[in-house]
Amino acid sequence: VSVQIEVITAPGCQKCARAQAELCAAAASVLGEDNLIWREVNVLEELDYAVALGVLTLPAIAVNGELRFSALPTPEQFRAVLARLERC
Amino acid sequence: MYTIGKLSVLAGVSTDTLRYYEKEGLITPASKTAAGYRLYDDGAARRIRFVKQAQHCGFTLAEIQELLKLKATDRACCQDVRRLAIEKKLRIAHKLRALQAMSRALDDLIERCNDGEKPLDDCPILHALENTLQEVSR
Repeated sequence: VSVQIEVITAPGCQKCARAQAELCAAAASVLGEDNLIWREVNVLEELDYAVALGVLTLPAIAVNGELRFSALPTPEQFRAVLARLERC
Repeated sequence: MYTIGKLSVLAGVSTDTLRYYEKEGLITPASKTAAGYRLYDDGAARRIRFVKQAQHCGFTLAEIQELLKLKATDRACCQDVRRLAIEKKLRIAHKLRALQAMSRALDDLIERCNDGEKPLDDCPILHALENTLQEVSR
């Protein structure tokens, strides 16, 4: 079953861009590239969606449409959460 | 240099507000007279304008302090300020959503009552609110 991961960021955030690449690789290593749907959400273009998710701080990460992180996790933290998700 | 009274007139805020800003660390007097009266410089006047403008955009005093801290941090950049502004916009959007939900709930209540002449005991709005309260307490 595919897992959709959405990273909600403010456009132009270089720190976010660097971290995203690491997190995307971490997600692919846990879930497998074929099972991963990775989407970057520009908060200014999809403000209503971000509000519906409950995003109050940036960057944030939603997994399968549910807000999971209100700040960028380390790749280790991210892997641990995704591994738990895999077991469920 | 300005006394608190002069600064109050110049900035268009009360002296109590200025004392509160000082207590919150938003402004500090540049010096004091021999008698102990506060004296403020042009920087304080600029800071008060900044505070007022930021409040106009919905920022709270705590958030304004964060903005001012960023302003004084060498390593911070425009992107950091922009992120705070976007986060503020998100919080406002959340509040708007909650207010819209309240407005819709009121529409439902108003629609239940199409006869304003009924006695209070039969008021459908009060009944609906009471029933909702009973449902919640169950």
